[in-house]
Amino acid sequence: MNRTMILQMIVSGALMGQVYALIAYGFQLTYATSKSINFGQGELVMLSAFFSLTLINWGIAYPLVVVGGLLFGAVLGLFVERAGVRLALEQKSEGWILLTIILGLFGFSTAENIWGRDDRPFPTPISSDPIHIFGIGITPLEVSVILGVFAVMGLIEGFKRYTLLGKAFAALAADRDAAGLMGISATRTIMLSYALSGFVSAMAGILIAPITTVGPTMASTLILKAFSVAVVAGLDSGFGVVITGLVLGAIESLTSFFLGSGWREAPGLLLLILALAVRPTGLFGKTTIRKV
Amino acid sequence: MLICEQVHAGYGNVRVLHGISFAVQAGKVVALIGANGAGKTTAMRAISGLIGPDQGSIMLDRQPIHHLEAARIAHLGLAHVPEGRHVFAPLTVEDNLLLGAYGWLPRLFGFRRKAAQEMDRVMQLFPKLAERRRQLAGTLSGGEQQMLAIGRAIMARPKVMLLDEPSMGLAPVIVQEVFSIIRRLKDQGMTLLLVEQFASHALAVADYAYVLERGRIVVQGYPEELMKNEQVVTAYLG
Repeated sequence: MNRTMILQMIVSGALMGQVYALIAYGFQLTYATSKSINFGQGELVMLSAFFSLTLINWGIAYPLVVVGGLLFGAVLGLFVERAGVRLALEQKSEGWILLTIILGLFGFSTAENIWGRDDRPFPTPISSDPIHIFGIGITPLEVSVILGVFAVMGLIEGFKRYTLLGKAFAALAADRDAAGLMGISATRTIMLSYALSGFVSAMAGILIAPITTVGPTMASTLILKAFSVAVVAGLDSGFGVVITGLVLGAIESLTSFFLGSGWREAPGLLLLILALAVRPTGLFGKTTIRKV
Repeated sequence: MLICEQVHAGYGNVRVLHGISFAVQAGKVVALIGANGAGKTTAMRAISGLIGPDQGSIMLDRQPIHHLEAARIAHLGLAHVPEGRHVFAPLTVEDNLLLGAYGWLPRLFGFRRKAAQEMDRVMQLFPKLAERRRQLAGTLSGGEQQMLAIGRAIMARPKVMLLDEPSMGLAPVIVQEVFSIIRRLKDQGMTLLLVEQFASHALAVADYAYVLERGRIVVQGYPEELMKNEQVVTAYLG
């Protein structure tokens, strides 16, 4: 047991944690505009991964597969908004919770029917032969995960900060009535936020699929951890989810090494419970998460 | 320019407005005065679409707007400076102003350049805002926030501006300042609907005024007339 090995696990874990962060970021996007989140987001991750796999099997070039997968995710996000969330929001009810869960289940059985129940490998041109830096092995695949996560989050954060449409997101989050008076349509902005959260989910699916394989259940534990990250970090801090993702990923990989892989999911859940008990606004957050 | 006809509105099961009718001509300042709870703010909210009126019609520039949502009405040229100011606290002063012009600015790029002229105009009117350009709106004083809320409405290049209780919670000196701004807007030809609890302030700038009582218009007339009306004087100007 040496230091390098522990470092190795921390690094690989932290990299994986960025995928949780990315999905958690998807929660934040829709929460900001509509105070709702898509509980079926894990299924969006999975469906987008399956769709991308299909594109690969059709022999489409990898960059185009990524673009196609991301667009598919955005369309799914729009579908969830239109078919579920909007109906609940129009009645000012919390029905979106149940509706998004149901749409998720629907997505799950659709995937089982189209692509079957088996886990399948997701071929990618990105190599998984580790490169050694200071004795720590990092695969280009892992690097692609972190680059992909940062690229997408950077793009969306830039959009929110430097375009007027993006500023309207913040305005809507800050004061819904006043935003309406400025001519900012809540409906359209919420649609956009759902499209973006679908886009983000698809990115998570495409990035993680080569590492975990693709199957209907690929996202079920992923989403739980993303949820922990979102709750721990708070629902309004993009920076918070990145840090929390890093930490949770690292703790997880250490736990599974020292206590056995059966304990892998424990830290995430423990963190979730702790966060809800001690600081429901999240470490980095301002908004209180309502307990429903 | 703005015509309300038999407007009924309220919240849930509580009816607040029982058929009010009034008109604001282009380039005029019209005041709506009345006690707390008379329905002034409700009238404003019904016009700008924050609540849907139950009955009656509201026309903006000969176009019916009572069935539209707030964002649509804003695009048609109505700017509402709400009671309590409602600036976007976590955004900068500049961003608040830019969002005021959301209706006509490009959404993605080049909006700063396009908005520059309007922005200069607002900054000239409110030098304080120029100083605090990059400050978060939530850190401004009440008076500055009121200036920002009005500036944001000017950015929209509206046909009609609604001002709801612009003096609320402000120190007397600041109230003077706010009303001098309103007078300047009037001189520039802005069409204004002004709601005020301080009736004397409102009547001093208004071309015409309506007195609202428990959801009904009870008196209307030119300010000179109202200031002679005993009922009005004892109830609102005494």
